[in-house]
Amino acid sequence: MFISLVVLIFVEPNLIINTMINQSKDVVSLCINLLAIYAVWLGILEIVDKSGLGDKLAKFLSPVIKRLFKINDAEQIKYVSYNLSCNLLGLGNAATPSGIKAIKSMEKDLKHTKFAMLMLLVINSTGIQFLPTTVIGLRASAQSTAAADIILPTLISSLIATTIAVGLLFIYKKIKKL
Amino acid sequence: MSVYIIPIILIILIIYAVYKKVNVYSAFCQGAKGAFDLVKSIFPYIVAIMVCVALFRVSGLGNVLVDILTPLFNLFGIPSEVCELVLLRPFTGSGSISLLEDIISRYGADSYISRCACCILGSSETVFYVSSVYFAGSKQKNIAPAIAIALVGGIVSAILSCLLCRVI
Repeated sequence: MFISLVVLIFVEPNLIINTMINQSKDVVSLCINLLAIYAVWLGILEIVDKSGLGDKLAKFLSPVIKRLFKINDAEQIKYVSYNLSCNLLGLGNAATPSGIKAIKSMEKDLKHTKFAMLMLLVINSTGIQFLPTTVIGLRASAQSTAAADIILPTLISSLIATTIAVGLLFIYKKIKKL
Repeated sequence: MSVYIIPIILIILIIYAVYKKVNVYSAFCQGAKGAFDLVKSIFPYIVAIMVCVALFRVSGLGNVLVDILTPLFNLFGIPSEVCELVLLRPFTGSGSISLLEDIISRYGADSYISRCACCILGSSETVFYVSSVYFAGSKQKNIAPAIAIALVGGIVSAILSCLLCRVI
């Protein structure tokens, strides 16, 4: 940020404040959108939670999660399993609130969850997705003859990239002895 | 097909919840209530990160970075036309989507360049945004290695996307 500011002072000083305020305005409208999206998904999540379906899901995914994230706490496993399932379904917006909840519950036990937090971040930011709906929609509206033919390459490349990223994180863990 | 998946899951969920004698209405409201606090807690961090990103782009440093990295990306089989997208992707979701629209309208939806761009967008995430939201107010400060790894993952998926779009 500092370097950008220095450059801007020489190039176009009048742009600085305008850019900052305008961007901040965009974030406000983004947050209003997020409020709407999160309200719906958190509501649905609570139903999943109350009905006991969440515990079943957690139980089903817990062998994988325990191995990948090295966590044992039931609550943490539950939120991580929500997060992973939403990601796999391509519901990025639903994944975020559950991911934040997972991080918040990991915070309580910072000593043992450092690695798990990094893992959650890596998995969430490499974007495994079975249905890239936004992109397909964009192509379809641009009169593509086969809008969905990118599903396979997208899936393969994101799976491989995520695997490599997870592998790198494990190597990092070994080096740093986390 | 994909349009039906989520509604069907929701219907099954509600039937199951009613069968388990859960008050669906009050559970939904209780969950939705948490959205305010959630957005309130992430808001300052998104503002900070997005303002930084905007300044970076307006200052022209973004273009300098694109110019420097384009030959390097070409080496790995990423065409010059999508380099900007690869670099913009980790910073902003809406920005990279509008860039993708631009690419599609310029090269046509079924061109190799557009398919590449679509795969790149679909197989990666807004790393900086995700990390600022997830770790909003967190005591865990040492997340740089995870961000670095995620960025490497993003570049790997871009390289693979360009490769796979040639084959498939």
